[in-house]
Amino acid sequence: MRLGFFFREAIRSIKANVAISVAAIVTVMIAVFILGTFIPSYLYVQSTVNQQKSRLDIQVYVADAAPQSQVAALQAQIVALQSQGLIKSFSFISKTDALNQFKARLNDPSILTLLPNNPLPASFDVRPADPAKDGQIATALRTSHAIDTTMPGNGISYAETTTNRLLTIAQFIQYAGLVLIAILLVAAILLIGNTIRLSIFARRREVEVMRLVGATNWFIRWPFIIEGIICGVVGAAISVVILWIAKILVVDPYVSTSTGGLTRDSATTIGFGTLAVILIVAGGAVGAVGSGFTLRRFLKV
Amino acid sequence: MSTDADAQLNSESESPAPARRTGRTAERRIDRRSILRPGDGSMVIFDGVTKRYGEDVVGLDNISLSIDAGEFVFLVGPSGSGKSTFIRLLIKEMDASEGTVIVGGRDLGKMGRSKVPYLRRGIGCVFQDFKLLPGRTIYENVAYALEVTGDAPKSIRRKVPEILALTGLSDKSDRLPNELSGGEQQRVSIARAFVNHPRLLIADEPTGNLDPDTSIGIMQLLYRINRTGTTVVMATHDRDLVDKMQMRVIALEGGKLVRDERSASYATVEP
Repeated sequence: MRLGFFFREAIRSIKANVAISVAAIVTVMIAVFILGTFIPSYLYVQSTVNQQKSRLDIQVYVADAAPQSQVAALQAQIVALQSQGLIKSFSFISKTDALNQFKARLNDPSILTLLPNNPLPASFDVRPADPAKDGQIATALRTSHAIDTTMPGNGISYAETTTNRLLTIAQFIQYAGLVLIAILLVAAILLIGNTIRLSIFARRREVEVMRLVGATNWFIRWPFIIEGIICGVVGAAISVVILWIAKILVVDPYVSTSTGGLTRDSATTIGFGTLAVILIVAGGAVGAVGSGFTLRRFLKV
Repeated sequence: MSTDADAQLNSESESPAPARRTGRTAERRIDRRSILRPGDGSMVIFDGVTKRYGEDVVGLDNISLSIDAGEFVFLVGPSGSGKSTFIRLLIKEMDASEGTVIVGGRDLGKMGRSKVPYLRRGIGCVFQDFKLLPGRTIYENVAYALEVTGDAPKSIRRKVPEILALTGLSDKSDRLPNELSGGEQQRVSIARAFVNHPRLLIADEPTGNLDPDTSIGIMQLLYRINRTGTTVVMATHDRDLVDKMQMRVIALEGGKLVRDERSASYATVEP
């Protein structure tokens, strides 16, 4: 019943300051909306980077023109490195295998029938024992004449450069996003604080009477804290609804029709249900912190 | 109405059991423990109390006096004489600069801030400006005092109509304060102050905004409350009222105690 009293008082107060409560709700809504778009995007990039990092195989491209003897020599080199323990395993991917693998990744494989011939080189797919020694393996194999130096990485490609570049981008997105979110959350906290300050002012008679008849300090504070939490949760909930509409109307159709890398990629991101729970909890927390700070400053009880 | 109300007031004071029947929570226990207990029969003791504001403004100057449990006391004096300071010290809105203030056997100087709410639950306060909440009905205003001190809904539903009947406001319980006359609003404020049956009732200029006839009605109500055993301290500068009542008068001037007489008039304080 006491909880009932706190809620009744909080709602009464929100109704009494509709304009300022709406302002606080909208700020939380915007902050949470940006948080809600950032979290899945960031996790998607992170997931892509992690996949890239686990793709540590070294691709050694074999030139189409290389004679069989040179290819055999290259394979012998690889076997030699394997016996030294540098290479864990390797496999030979013929031109046909390469084409088949490529077909599997396309949305519309029929497009390949337009090609006059198979442009993909054969390759050795080398799995190193220790990914850190990719460079050493690459240097050792580079002496071979069978290598197609027109291919990426002068014919020996491994994930290092790609991964590093992706990591840099991901980190930038991470920091920029965190700064943006921090700014918005602080703004939301301040605005909720302001709402509570006005609410304290509007309810100063109530507070005076409460003190007079012997209400404890926490009894005086709770309605204000609940008011802040309600503003935060309502803002977050509205934002979740908007995010859901955006997901249904924009993101889902885009992903299902896109020919870009988003479709066949197994990179994952957060589920909408989990995201919604996180956002609403965050909204409530922002409201509680905002009113808590303001109560400390303005409500000397 | 007055005999009815009297009977109710008296029965209430003789059997405080109903108030204790409900709510055996931790808060309730603290509440009971904090009820003022004037050990030697003194409700209020001021011993050499001085209150300074800043460096050289003196609110009260070396006041020593004692008010017995059950007494009715007028606190008189012109504006700025220290009446308000006296009252604010009683409810520990601030502390004395020097000396000891004891209310209901408790030394307020030694009482921690966190105990203050429990002290105030034992003291009812009535003010010149009523301090009613404008957006709430009369019933809600009185119930509010019980709600914020954590009383059970059942006990609130029982106590509020009781006190509204006592103060003659039963038919006004759904009205808003601004729909009532000044005298009626002051009755609501008294109902709110007395709904917990405090041992001490403090009234700061309760008739300050009211016409003489209405003032007498309020006075009678306070007197009846006093007759239930509640100590009443009333600050006023309503000369006629004090002269009519012939109760104990404590006169302050410039922060000093200039007169303390039983069965006295307002006069002789101001020429």
